[in-house]
Amino acid sequence: MGNVESLSYFVPELILTVAILIVLFADMFGMERGGFDLPGGAALLGSILALISHVWLYSQPATMLFEGMIAHDMFSAFFRGFFLLCTVVVTLMTMYSMEVIHLKKGEFYSILLSICIGMCLVASAQNLIMIYLALELMSLGSYILAGFSRRIGRSEEASLKFVLYGGVSTGVMLFGLSLLYGLTGSTDFSAIQQVLISSEKGIDLTAFTIFLLILVGVGYKIAAVPFHFWAPDVYEGSPTPITAFLSVASKGTGFALLIRLFYSTLLTRSPAGGFWVEVGDIDIDWTFHLAVISALTMTIGNLGAISQNNLKRLLAYSGIAHAGYLLMGVCLLTDVGLQAVIFYLVVYLFTNLAAFLVVIIMVDTQDEEGMNGVRGLWARTPIVAVAMTICLFSLIGLPPTAGFVGKYYLFVALLQGKLYWLAIVGVLNTVVSLYYYARIVKAMFFEPTYTEEPIRVHPVYAGLLTALVVPVLYFGIFWDSLARYARYCASLITY
Amino acid sequence: MDALLHSLVFYILAFIVLGSAAYTAFSANLVRAAFSLLFTFFGLAGLYIYLGADFVGISQVIIYVGGILVLLLFGVMFTTNVSGQGTEKQTLQMKWGILFLVVLFLLLIPIAFITPWSVMPDAGSKALESSVSPIGVGLLTKYLLPFEIASLLLLIALIGAVVIARGEPKVRAEAAKEDTSAL
Amino acid sequence: MAVGLEHCLVVSISLFLLGVFIVMTQRNGIRVLMGIELILNAANLNLIAFNRFLPNTDVNGSIFAVFVIILAAAEAAVALAIVLAIYQQFSTVNLDEISSMKH
Repeated sequence: MGNVESLSYFVPELILTVAILIVLFADMFGMERGGFDLPGGAALLGSILALISHVWLYSQPATMLFEGMIAHDMFSAFFRGFFLLCTVVVTLMTMYSMEVIHLKKGEFYSILLSICIGMCLVASAQNLIMIYLALELMSLGSYILAGFSRRIGRSEEASLKFVLYGGVSTGVMLFGLSLLYGLTGSTDFSAIQQVLISSEKGIDLTAFTIFLLILVGVGYKIAAVPFHFWAPDVYEGSPTPITAFLSVASKGTGFALLIRLFYSTLLTRSPAGGFWVEVGDIDIDWTFHLAVISALTMTIGNLGAISQNNLKRLLAYSGIAHAGYLLMGVCLLTDVGLQAVIFYLVVYLFTNLAAFLVVIIMVDTQDEEGMNGVRGLWARTPIVAVAMTICLFSLIGLPPTAGFVGKYYLFVALLQGKLYWLAIVGVLNTVVSLYYYARIVKAMFFEPTYTEEPIRVHPVYAGLLTALVVPVLYFGIFWDSLARYARYCASLITY
Repeated sequence: MDALLHSLVFYILAFIVLGSAAYTAFSANLVRAAFSLLFTFFGLAGLYIYLGADFVGISQVIIYVGGILVLLLFGVMFTTNVSGQGTEKQTLQMKWGILFLVVLFLLLIPIAFITPWSVMPDAGSKALESSVSPIGVGLLTKYLLPFEIASLLLLIALIGAVVIARGEPKVRAEAAKEDTSAL
Repeated sequence: MAVGLEHCLVVSISLFLLGVFIVMTQRNGIRVLMGIELILNAANLNLIAFNRFLPNTDVNGSIFAVFVIILAAAEAAVALAIVLAIYQQFSTVNLDEISSMKH
């Protein structure tokens, strides 16, 4: 489809772009202390309108847009909804959070919205140039936002580590993309796949190198071992709303990137249906390599989390472990695996955002992100304690929460793919994770608190927390609709 | 004779690029390392033009040499004493780094030779025309969306760089006040 | 010996590895940035060389390279702003000495 006709499919992104400009103008007209957060209101309205227009566009048939730069298919539609929802929640979190410097909030929202555009484009890109550009748009924005905390030294440290290592990882990935261009002579995914299918023998080494180089960039985004070392520092140093955004949306982008790039260039859909196979004469056991990374990632993430006392750091390691769980689904290269990944991502969105919201409440009310903050929480504010418990149960994967169903689907997919050793590693890891999550639950309910003074939770936070926790329980009991939806979304555009 | 001259130009440029890049990598002096990058970027611009990408070569000179390198030099000057000496400690990692470098080189170099790149048989005689007009047409037709997204990206980078670099005393005072009141 | 694709690839791979080497061994923030620039330039050289020697007549490689240069400039600006902010706080840009967080 041409550039002009494509615009009708591009309405959510256009709304976001207009919202960016409105936020910047709103920022010029007074952000007096204590007054209503006008730029925040504009950003919230913009992202909600974008979400509505996205839902309205949902049923359009799959097609290529902007001269083949991006695709509109179920997969990209799913991720657009995912990122927009994330942006709405994080905007709301930021509006009432004390952690982001008040005077800088206008810039904050405009950058947040553009990151969202970048993420949507990563998930729908069909061209090497487009995917690299979109990835850089979202990375550059996240580097900047990581430095917005009012804790001065820590925030800049997070930002510096993030930008330097992030720059290296995308640079290395770019080198891989340039080799991929050289191997096939094209930047369009469809053409790349066609060339690779009919390629001669002898490109195994190059294909594998390209895969490794691209994996450096992807691994950094999803915080997979051995590119995970930035995550704890950056998660701890960033303002908590941004930590939540990074841990959910940025990870989601990484997976969208991996699936988009990998499944539509180096793999091709098998004629038998239901799974993907390597293109042409390339003879590399992709499943095995990804499975090893998955096993290492979840093990190191879970072991790292055990000794943590800072909640943000603990959730960072838990996020690394969850990247490992999600990779279990990706490495199978089957439809069932992809569906399990999408199901788990939705569950992870609600669970993790809610968990971070509890941390935000802790930081805002008592300036405490360590274990001390949650000690005796049950006595001080029962609702938050119960919500946090549900989130932690979901992160462990205990019934009746959605986390259980998500893990169930992942393991079923693994067993169907006959990857028994990885399933065993996954189960063992779940047992390990039980320990450190349960430690928080114990602290909340059974340990004495230093003050009995009840915590006053902002009504917006209370509402948001409820809105995030209810789906976790709902999908834990009535998962059928979500599972059907995941099956529907797992279809990538095919040529 | 002509072909020899052609090759000679390439080898000289390649030598300049790699030599100055290696100096950047191994020099202990930060200021010299930054200046040495000047030759790397100029040499690369020469290589791009040699390979027929005139527009990219000129962009390289304008943006890399005129922009990024100056930024880097500003960074160096702001954060070290002007001589650049004595600010760096040589790490023991150097030895392992070199070992790693050699191993990776031996692993990656075969890619250049083993892979059956679909090279044109007589690429040397490919007519070299100016690439400016096809790039312009490409940017406004097929690559219109990336072109627009790049403008968004530059806007974000501009806002971000200003917000971060602007040492706002008011904000700092306010933050300090909040920090003490929270204690 | 006429210059072919292989020659360009050897140069670009060497440049890439020098960049990776800088990133791995140096702890100075600005040094690491220089390493990143070398890596990006290596990728650009690849793109241009492939564009020159592959049989297609389009300029996709050049366009890709132009975008990479734009992005490199944006990234360098943001990274240096952060480096300067760090220097104001810690009076050093050495990554090992900057650690305000407990591990």
